[in-house]
Amino acid sequence: MSENAMGGELVSCETRRRMLALLAAVAGWLVPGLGHAIQRMWGRAAACFLCVGMLVAVGAGMRGRIFSQYGSDAFDRLGFFADAGSGSFYFLMRTIEKDGPDVSKADGDYGTRFLATAGVLNLLAALHAYEVARGRKA
Amino acid sequence: MTLSHLQAMLLFALAISVAFGFLGRRRPAERARFIVWSFLVFLGVGIAVGWLMYPFSK
Repeated sequence: MSENAMGGELVSCETRRRMLALLAAVAGWLVPGLGHAIQRMWGRAAACFLCVGMLVAVGAGMRGRIFSQYGSDAFDRLGFFADAGSGSFYFLMRTIEKDGPDVSKADGDYGTRFLATAGVLNLLAALHAYEVARGRKA
Repeated sequence: MTLSHLQAMLLFALAISVAFGFLGRRRPAERARFIVWSFLVFLGVGIAVGWLMYPFSK
């Protein structure tokens, strides 16, 4: 095999790996744990799915505040960014929480934190899936 | 759903510890050790901060 052909193969391999990493990150963001599942890391996938799912279910059950994209200030937008980190679970939050938020009690306030944590945790998991796919982490 | 402060903290600590344990460690034994350690640290710090704030609650 010539050097040019080998070089081309290496570039194509690197491009494929980068595409797979991007796919893992986007999939992991959309459905918690999917980024690891497509890399056959079943334990990590199940842990991400269950932990993010549990935080969303408890947070919405406690009637935490779900931020929308039409926030009036920087904190609202930051809250939306955190909540949207849950991917498809963001819409699940809205489905579970039919009565709307109630932050007049401590429960609602805790629920808001649970929902934000679920989103940030999922973003972290998606980033981890990306790094694993790139071969930078085990 | 109504949870006490302690129950909410326990659930939060458990979810975060399990997720960090699975993402950060690869071997099952290391994972289990990290999950237990992280959970206990969450619990200890939470209770310590709670007691530190107690004098200001009155």
